[in-house]
Amino acid sequence: MSASVPGPAAPRTATPRVGVIGADVPRQLVLAAGATPVRIFGSWSQPYSSEAAELLGAVDAVAARILDEVLSGAHDDLAGLVVCNDSAADLRIFYVLRILSERGRVPFPVHLLDAPRDGGAPRDRFVGRQYDRLVAFCESLTGERIDAAGLRLAARRERELGRALTALRARRRARECSGAAALHAYVAAATLPPEHAMAIVDDAASADARDGEPVFVTGSAHPEASVYRVIEAAGLVVVGEDHDTADAAWIGDAVDTGDRDEAVGRLAQRHAARPPLAARSRTRERAAELERRLAETDASGVLALVRELDDGPVWDLPGQRAVAERRGLPIASRARIAPEAALVEAEEVASALAGELAAAGQVTR
Amino acid sequence: MTTDRLGSAVAATRHQKDWFAQTTERARSGEPIALVNADAPHEILRALDIPYVVTQWWSSIIAAKQAGPAAMERLVARGLPDFSLQYDAMPLGEQDLPAEQRPWGGLPAPDFAIAERSGDVTQKIFEQWGERPGTETFLLSRTGADPVPARWWELVPRDWETAFGTDRLDLLQAELEELVAWLEERTGRRFDTGRLAEIMALGNEQAEWNRRTRDLIATARPTPVMVNDTMPAVMVPQWHRGTQWAVDAARSLYEDVAARVEAGHAVCTGERRRLMWIGRGLWTDLAMYRRFHDEFGAVFVWSMYLAIAADGYPRYGDDPMRALAARFVGFTDQLYVPPWSSDWYVKEALGHGVDGVVHLVADDTPGPGFITEALEAAGIPVLEIRANNSDARSVRAARIPERIAEFLSARVPERS
Repeated sequence: MSASVPGPAAPRTATPRVGVIGADVPRQLVLAAGATPVRIFGSWSQPYSSEAAELLGAVDAVAARILDEVLSGAHDDLAGLVVCNDSAADLRIFYVLRILSERGRVPFPVHLLDAPRDGGAPRDRFVGRQYDRLVAFCESLTGERIDAAGLRLAARRERELGRALTALRARRRARECSGAAALHAYVAAATLPPEHAMAIVDDAASADARDGEPVFVTGSAHPEASVYRVIEAAGLVVVGEDHDTADAAWIGDAVDTGDRDEAVGRLAQRHAARPPLAARSRTRERAAELERRLAETDASGVLALVRELDDGPVWDLPGQRAVAERRGLPIASRARIAPEAALVEAEEVASALAGELAAAGQVTR
Repeated sequence: MTTDRLGSAVAATRHQKDWFAQTTERARSGEPIALVNADAPHEILRALDIPYVVTQWWSSIIAAKQAGPAAMERLVARGLPDFSLQYDAMPLGEQDLPAEQRPWGGLPAPDFAIAERSGDVTQKIFEQWGERPGTETFLLSRTGADPVPARWWELVPRDWETAFGTDRLDLLQAELEELVAWLEERTGRRFDTGRLAEIMALGNEQAEWNRRTRDLIATARPTPVMVNDTMPAVMVPQWHRGTQWAVDAARSLYEDVAARVEAGHAVCTGERRRLMWIGRGLWTDLAMYRRFHDEFGAVFVWSMYLAIAADGYPRYGDDPMRALAARFVGFTDQLYVPPWSSDWYVKEALGHGVDGVVHLVADDTPGPGFITEALEAAGIPVLEIRANNSDARSVRAARIPERIAEFLSARVPERS
């Protein structure tokens, strides 16, 4: 797991661990190749080095923290690293690490996974070829060839984890699990072997989740739970979100086939059907997804927190605001949150939303 | 020292203003026009005889007419950010300006808004165009720069499969075919591959003239032309790429420069420092480029506009659609993604004998430090300035002239 994220310790096993930056990896293929995908998250608030800032240029601070983690040696046990072209920030990380890898600054190979999201035959074909390259990369790391048994076993493992996450989402809607606890479970799911993660996901629950007013979170992804804890301390409980480190993570999905080519093709199609993420989707898709999720979670309000230089979500805000207003829900937002101000600004915005809900007579606590 | 404008630059600027007036007139009389990003495949629109306006060019006009801040305020009024990719976003705000504030009478609402999905925001901006009445949006994928072979400028004209990779090319070529079908359906026109082949050939001819001009300026001493003259003299024809007018304009630029070299013309008498400007043009303060002539004998001899026009566009091949895909699939990689960008900037800096580099780093530039590192390793001092070229507020805050003066004093010695 990410060195900066408090959570369960990764068990030491002989299974090679493949680092993942970004949200586009079809985990079934990595598992089938005999590796464990281990997502690297960064954090909201930790300081980051001037070297990372200089190497990346103007970029979301979370990307700088991820780069720092990699360059500090915190992930030197990885067999290899896959970086997704799922945001401008992550693509920059790849460009930097490609050069630094050639210079010997990181002890493992670095691979780009480039998966456009729009669907349709040309993009599905390209994504399929990218998955072929991903498989070849993982096989080169593990020394194993993907076969029918491996694909089916990986599907079973991933699906089991998916079922646990589905149950987790139900507990959140039933107000039996806080957003912070759920985020912690999602981190485990993204960093541990499925069997180990499932125990943590299954245990995720919070007695005080009923105390807060249910809200839905949009905006930047939350690499760890510190901001969720602040939000929930303000009298809210996060019952769902549309970012890729929690409900919109691509975890638990798999296809049932022993044929590698078929698996690649079907996973490429599944990728196109995933929830729209801010950096690579249209505002109209994002607004429609928010509408769907608000209905599903029965949230009383929407909270949008957007980090400085993570501009994709900012452009979605007018469309999302229209959705919330159409549903009669308050929406509180803050854009350009500076690296050092995340917790303070989150507290301000969450308190304002809690106050608005209270004033509307909706707070029940 | 002289500030005489280059004849080809004056002619290009005049042509563009006339062309814009004619194009807007055609649009107002009901002809479809398009708004396109600079790195979108304009050649398809030309083959279908659909006039197009390039976002970045139009932003440069809005900025130069000092209408940028007002345009950005219109975005804020709609709940949209005024701090995000202003160079692409500014024309969107211009649409909502009062008539008297709109440069050149304003851009009529386009029928089509076409862009590739660079970064996280370009797609959102172009989607906003599609939300406006009468405009539809088409987005192309922008794949990552992988692979990255060395010396791309030698590969891309013919060996583009090696330079960019077949998978990336297959995707963009297929999307170009989707774009053609999308436009045919909406205009009722038929796309002619033979016509595209002619357009590609003219584009290559134009690039060849630009290469000759670039090579001539690289070796000329003293510097015969200002970069703020070559910028319009190259870029206006670039937006007319694939026409005989654009080829003639590129040849005219070459002939103007050659005549000046022959005459020993100097834009800066007593030239003692040769500078390279990396980054987009400073449209809000073009006079800045000659501000250091008198005090420092420092002259900007290079901007990316002529150099990329020389190295970045030529594509020779029998299949025009494949060649067109190869022209655009990695266009921004060439300029912005290290080591593609850094290797090329070093090649150009050495070829032009520059003494110092001013690097205007935009928010969407990845790994700017690698460019600086490569140039400094080649013995060339670099000043990095972080600002948005088209946003006057950002330019003022960056204190660009003052910092360049400090840089020249401290790090760029005079030539003997």
